[in-house]
Amino acid sequence: MSTEQQIRDYILENYLFTDDQSALDNSDSFLDKGILDSTGILEVIYFIEEEMEIKVEDEEMIPENLDSVNNIVAFIKRKNESD
Amino acid sequence: MQNTLVQLLHNSVDRFPEKTAVIQGETTLTYIELWNKACGVAHYLLRNNFKNNDKASLLLDNSAEYIIAYYGVLIAGGSVIGLNTAAKSRDLVNWIEHSDSKFVFASINHAEVNDVLDILPDNKCQFIFVGLEITKQNDHDWNQIQMNSDLPESCIEWLPDEKLASIIYTSGTTGKPKGVMLSHTNLYENIVSILTYLKLNNNDSIVNVLPFYYSYGNSVLHSHLAAGATLILENSMLYPQKILSVLADKKVTGFSGVPSTFNLILNRTKLADFDLSSLRYMTQAGGPMAPANVERLKKELPGIDFFIMYGQTEASARLSYLPPEQLENKPGSIGKAIPGVRLEIRDENQKAVSISETGEIYAYGKNIMLGYWKDKEATTSVIYDGWLKTGDLAYQDEDDYFYIVGRSTDMIKSGAHRISPKDIEEVILELDGVEEVAVVGVADVLLGQIIKAVVVIAPGYTMDKMKLMRHCKENLASYKLPKNIEFKDEIPKTASGKIRRFMLEK
Repeated sequence: MSTEQQIRDYILENYLFTDDQSALDNSDSFLDKGILDSTGILEVIYFIEEEMEIKVEDEEMIPENLDSVNNIVAFIKRKNESD
Repeated sequence: MQNTLVQLLHNSVDRFPEKTAVIQGETTLTYIELWNKACGVAHYLLRNNFKNNDKASLLLDNSAEYIIAYYGVLIAGGSVIGLNTAAKSRDLVNWIEHSDSKFVFASINHAEVNDVLDILPDNKCQFIFVGLEITKQNDHDWNQIQMNSDLPESCIEWLPDEKLASIIYTSGTTGKPKGVMLSHTNLYENIVSILTYLKLNNNDSIVNVLPFYYSYGNSVLHSHLAAGATLILENSMLYPQKILSVLADKKVTGFSGVPSTFNLILNRTKLADFDLSSLRYMTQAGGPMAPANVERLKKELPGIDFFIMYGQTEASARLSYLPPEQLENKPGSIGKAIPGVRLEIRDENQKAVSISETGEIYAYGKNIMLGYWKDKEATTSVIYDGWLKTGDLAYQDEDDYFYIVGRSTDMIKSGAHRISPKDIEEVILELDGVEEVAVVGVADVLLGQIIKAVVVIAPGYTMDKMKLMRHCKENLASYKLPKNIEFKDEIPKTASGKIRRFMLEK
């Protein structure tokens, strides 16, 4: 399964409580759409760290890296490339 | 209008007309601009049949518009209901109807606003959509209504101190919502007291992340405006780095949070990376903060006054504070009563208990609410001879410092939210096949408590967690969603049928 799909499934299952793929657009802002709150974003970080085996540094916890499926996928790609 | 919120704002407008009152992103508002726009709103309301003592609800996130509308309603002689913007349409409609709101100032972008309009009976109240071009029939243009800035003197004069200024709803999905009635005197007295112990002044500025619809955020808003300080609005703690950047870049002097706010800052940021040398004070309320975190914060931010505070919506916000110089001597304490407030620990017969003995906190002062809106029974169950029965269990040490040890009610405290288990149980019980449910709070390092629902499914039915959570998400505010669902064959009860909640809190 692709990284994108893994993240989509995690968000859909745990925050939107549905398997309807149309409920989440990859560009949807988690903040603006009220999908995640501050504990939710921490859970997403733990998920990324566990499943993608990358470490999210404190200073990387910014909307540009984490506020949508697209942002997370791009962030993980950048992290993997820099390793 | 001697002891009113309007007077407090007006004093700042007189003293610091050109000072910045509010910053939100690129938007700034000086005190005189804020006042003029609020007067414009008051004029508009009065022209549109808004009478003395009428109510107006605000369905707006923290914003300059929220503040303008809030004071506009007060100047017009009305009372404000700051609606919880995280709530779903069923709660919002319930509160709008229960409060008899004549007007609703709403953001057109609010996710629930169309549902609210669909559910509310026609002509129940008038909606003013804030911030966007208006296209709907019968709507009123927010940009136009702020234009008439002459002070409506006639209505200012009629503002008596005891007048109802605000109703803050604390719970209620159906049946009886609990609306805490706060008068101008309640709020004025509490704010004056807060100004004294925090030593707030016009050189202060605060980054506010607390929602104004709760009493803590409400008190931060009004106390900083009363001081002539600057409020910088940041509406989310989702990205704590961003908040610290603003604190550093704008040389902010104050910051207020709940325990989870500080937990996030301590565990997901590097405080040393930010120049916080302008920061003078931090305040914490909304539940107990682990003394270890207080110690860490003091260590990482030496020289900053850290105020631990305790309060309730029913007390306009604040009841006690621990002076920063006592943090080391009195770890875990909520301090002593703030100026103008008396606190007592009493037993179940309302008799004062001895030092070190646990009982319930009772509070007395001009900040204690008028009562619950349209609910005398609920009011008389918590107000005795002017004393508020808080529901918090505590003891007092030999130096008169108070320590909270628990609660005498089933209320769940998660993050900054006070949640009635009944609100959630009621929604889960609506699902076909749910025979019984009990909702409890379970200890959590970040939030204080998280919500756990124990569900019994009726014979012959099946239920999966996702279906149950989807129903909850559709009908409950996000902070009321259970984090933990357990399916069981039965719920433990006493012989009289009362749920043994403590057995489920593990």
